[in-house]
Parts: sequence; C-alpha cells; structure tokens
Amino acid sequence: MYKTSFRYLNLLFFTLLVLLTFSFFLPYLFPGDLISNMSGVTPATDAQRDALERSLKLDQSIFHQFGQYLKNIYEGEWGVNKVTFLSINSEVREFLPATIELVFYALVLAIFVGIPIGVLSGIKHHGIFDFTTVSFSIAGYSFPVFWLAMIFITVFCLQLGWLPTSGRIDLLYDIPTKTGFIMIDIALSDVDYKSQAYQNAISHLILPTLSVSIVTMAIFIRFVRRSMMDVMTKEYIVAAKSRGFSTAQIVFKHGLKNSLIPILPILALQVSTLITNVMIVETIFSWPGIGKWLIEAIYQQNYPAIRIGMLVVSVLVLVMTISIEFLTRLLDPNRENVEHATV
Amino acid sequence: MALLEIKNLSLYIPTGTEQVKALDKVSLTLAAGEIKALVGESGSGKSLIIRSIIGALPETWSVKADRITYDGQDLLNMSRNQRRQIMRRDIAVVFQEPTSALDPSVKISAQIQESIPDEFIDKGFIWQRWKQRQQISISLMHKVGIKDHERYLDCYPHELPTDISQKLMIAMALASEPKILITDDSTRGMESTTKTQILRLLSKLNKTKNLAVLFVSHDLLAVTNMAETMTVLYCGQTVESGKVKSLMKKPLHPYTKALLDSAPSFQVSLPPKSELIALKGTIPTLQHLPIGCRLGPRCPNAKKECVVTPIPRKIHEHQYSCHFPLHFPNVKGPDKEVHL
Repeated sequence: MYKTSFRYLNLLFFTLLVLLTFSFFLPYLFPGDLISNMSGVTPATDAQRDALERSLKLDQSIFHQFGQYLKNIYEGEWGVNKVTFLSINSEVREFLPATIELVFYALVLAIFVGIPIGVLSGIKHHGIFDFTTVSFSIAGYSFPVFWLAMIFITVFCLQLGWLPTSGRIDLLYDIPTKTGFIMIDIALSDVDYKSQAYQNAISHLILPTLSVSIVTMAIFIRFVRRSMMDVMTKEYIVAAKSRGFSTAQIVFKHGLKNSLIPILPILALQVSTLITNVMIVETIFSWPGIGKWLIEAIYQQNYPAIRIGMLVVSVLVLVMTISIEFLTRLLDPNRENVEHATV
Repeated sequence: MALLEIKNLSLYIPTGTEQVKALDKVSLTLAAGEIKALVGESGSGKSLIIRSIIGALPETWSVKADRITYDGQDLLNMSRNQRRQIMRRDIAVVFQEPTSALDPSVKISAQIQESIPDEFIDKGFIWQRWKQRQQISISLMHKVGIKDHERYLDCYPHELPTDISQKLMIAMALASEPKILITDDSTRGMESTTKTQILRLLSKLNKTKNLAVLFVSHDLLAVTNMAETMTVLYCGQTVESGKVKSLMKKPLHPYTKALLDSAPSFQVSLPPKSELIALKGTIPTLQHLPIGCRLGPRCPNAKKECVVTPIPRKIHEHQYSCHFPLHFPNVKGPDKEVHL
C-alpha cells in the first residue's frame, strides 16, 4: 500500500519535472525577445533590462536559470500578461476554477448517466433499450463538440430562447468571488437573491456541460456496455445464478465491480479528452475559463501566458489521470502484484 | 419418488443457419439420498445437462423437455422467482473450474457469507447477525476440511490454491443445506489425497444428511467407489443407466463396454505394455452429428438399423438404448417398436 502510493508519487514527481523542463525551454524557442517572452514585461530602458536579466538569472548558467524558474513557479511569480499587464498568477486563479467547475459537472453527468445506461443495456443487450442507447451513443460519439455547441446555441438560445448564450451568470447578480467556483460562491455570499442567482447560474451551465459531456457519456456507455456483456457470461455469474441470488444482487455485487475494473483506465484516459473539449466549448460559450484565456493568449501571441497556461492545464490533466489510475489500482485486487506505476 | 426427474430433455443451440441438437432426449432421475454418477467423455453434454437444470443457459438456446421436476414441481413452467427460491435452498451446484466460479473481486469471507440464506440468521442486532454469519462461514470451512480458516478468509480467489478453492465451492454449496448437490467434475486435476478427502466428504454428507448427489465425472474409479447408480452419456444421448455394479459386470451398450475397457484400472489381467482398447475415431463435433444412434459410425456392432435412434429399453433397473445390446445373442435385429 505505502509502496504503491510511493510509486505513484514518484511517477507524478518525475512527470512534473519533465513538464517543468519543457515549459522552461519554451521561451527560448518562441520568436522575439527572450526577456519579454519570459517575464511579459517589455523593458523600456537598459537599466530595466539589466534588472530583469538579473532577476531571471539570465547572466548566469542555464542551471541557475532553471533553478530560478522553479523558484518563481513555486513562489507564484509567474510573470505578467503581455496584453492585460495583470499578474498571470491572479488571472489563472480567476479562470482555472471556472474550467474545473465545468469539467467536474460534465464528468459527473457522464458518470452518473453514462455508467447506469451502459450497465442496463449490457444486461439486457440486443433489446429495444439497448439498440436505442447504442444508436444514440454512436451519434453522440460522432458529433464534433464545437458543432454540437453551436447547434445548441442556435436551437436553445436563438430560436427557442430558453437559455442564455454566454457567460457564467448575468451581470445583474453581483456575487463576490471567493473560491472562483460560482456555485460555492453563491452559497458563501450573503446576498438576498440566492435562489434566483442559482437558477441563473444553472441556466448558464446547462448547455456547456451538455455539449461537453455528451461525447464522454457516449464513450462511457459503449465501454461499460461491452464490459458488462462480457462479465455477465462469466462462470462466476453462472455460479451466482445457480445459488439463486436475485438479479439485483448478481448485478450489483458481482457484475458491476468486475465490469468496471478493466475499463477504468480507459475511462481515465477520456478525462484528458474531456478537458480539451471543455477548452473549446469555453471559447464558444464565452465561459470565463482557462481554455478561453489560453486560446486568446495564443491569438495574441502572448508567450508568457501560453507558457503558464500550458503548464497549468497539463498539470491538471496529469493530476487527474494519475489519481484515477491510483484509485483503479486500489480497487483491483488482481493488480496487487504489479509493482510498477504506469499511466 | 424421484427427487429430481428429467424426462426427454433436448437442447437446441442455434449455429447461424441451423439448430444443433446438443442434447437428444436425455433422461435422468435422482432419488432422495442417492448418489448418482453421470459419466461421459468431455463434450458429451454433461455440463449442458447441469446448466439446463439450474436454468443458466443463454437466451437463444432452447430447451425442450417432457418434464424437469424437482420434488414434483415443474422447474420449466414455474416463475423465475420460484425457480430461484428452489435453487437458493434445495439444489446446489459445484462448478468445474473453482477458480473461475469464484468472483475475482470479492473476498472469500464475503462470498461465503453471501451464500448463507437469511433464514439461518436468527440473532437480533446487526452486529450479532454479522458475527453469526462469520461463525457459520467458519464452521462451513471446517466442515469441508479447511482447518486454518484465518489464513484464507481474507484472501481474494486468485491468491488461493485450486484445491482450497474447490473446497470453498463445496462449502458455499453446502451453506444452504441443500437436498441435492450437483458436482460438475469437481475432482478433476486434483492430487489424489485431496480427491479422496472430497469424495469421503461427499459420501459422509450423503449418509448423515441424506444428501442426494449427482456426481458428474469422467473419473471411473471414483465413480465406482462412490456411486450406487450411474448414467452413461455419449454425445448428448443417454446410452445406458442402472446400478453401477450391474453396469460394470454386464454392460449392455457397446459404448459403456468401450468406456470401461479404456480404463486400465479395471483391467485385472492387462499385460504390461499392451495396447489399450479404444473405439476407432473421435467424438463427433456438434456440427457433424450422425443421425440415429450417435455412436453408429464408431460402433463395432453397428448395422443398418442403427440410423434410427434406438428407443430406451429396460431390464429390471437397467436401462439401455441400443438395437443390438451386448450379452443378448438371442436378440436378433431391432424390435418392432423402432419401426413405429
């Protein structure tokens, strides 16, 4: 157990180190002035340039530079946004929670809708329910996310006018930012229109969440269904049937766990796809998240922001992937003997 | 009164274009407190019979039978729930592969406790009930000869040796104190001491608890030691059934004779390095079953009449399905019934 945790921490540490090294070398590869690529500040005078050079240790060896970089990252000195002249750290703090919120809701929706549907159609496979879900999941799987998002906007916002097109909450509601997660912020705030604020926030949330999670949900349904079909023909399910257990007992106690264990790593891989999709959808729905921020930074050739944005997003993906892997590892008794941590 | 009675059970398996008759009018009876052996080569449909009894067949397969009854109740026409209740309490099955018949993701202790029916737990509070379940499962393990229960309770199935798994399967089958125990070749590939232990355990349960055992095996030596009656199966057809002793002494069907001859342990006067007696050819595949008596193409006594399926005939307790039974030189040709 301790050994396993250590191995996963080890994996996390070295992968992070590789990421950090890569992001350290990015500004050297970008076109333009190295100092402004790194700090985001374009020096006006020679004295300013010298001061920046010294603070980034550019006058010393590359190892000192790397050390200084790690120190800056650790201390939150992530440089200045070239366009807005705000500190990148404060911007990331503002935009990242919005993305995490969207990822979380989309994932929860995909898990709590996709897995039960997959299990049901796996048990009653080749029935009407199964054919319906399979057709829908193939359709859902083949939609490009951005296209689906735009269709949603056309239908539900522009034609039917049921839901708002963009943003997280209407400007009318003045919710002070504390955690950055809009739902928690509303709960923490002491405004007297909380329920309306909730309604408004949820109506903003529905379309982006749906358009991201439909693809992931379709993948979940297909994998879970296939795995459930395989498990239900296994000898131990027949043995459980021969002992006269009820169908619910067989499915929940013996079917579910055994069918989910082999596919959890595959599902974990979908998380990174989900995050990528969230970043695209954010741009379409003007959701003030890290994805929209990063894509804007790319348009503006805002190199310091690109560098930090890339690092933050990849750390997010990495941490989520490794923690799901670790969870799978804990759930699966057969992998007790496997010594190595892998992603 | 037979406890379990199967009459003319046929099983059809769809294979793309046509339906294969995997079991052809198999009949079997098991009386209360009897040990019956079901003998046949692998592929002769022993496991299919068991699966038909417990009702764990794929939905596309179709079962046709005159009757499958347990204690007078028709298993085929009762509701799923009733059938489940009977399986829960009265019929228990020990499967062929113990390691694959145990759920790989659940600990042994939980699996044994799950197989104890709720009716056996009579304590009031939840912790007392939990404790009672634990005690029952430990005593079950002791009963099947697992002495150091501490060592195995907390294991997952893949951590156990096969013989312990097999004993656990038997313990779980016995948990509901069934009237019938069906063992599907449960001693295959076991070392002889463990095998003896398990066979002895089954005989003991048969004597003390009046447990009826349907002992499916192709281990003839074990069968002759344990069982009183046996049914021989070839390629999905019942070939011969009766008391073990009379079958051993005077097999009426050529297949039974060939089966007994092929086991060197029964040949007292077998000279060393002599060739074993065996039928020519191999057991046919399901796609290429011969019509009539399925032994036909391999049978040394086969004649023209054998393309018609022989009707089971009975001499005292001894039943056989053959047009030209052995030891009856006076019987000439098939009798009238066949032409009907």
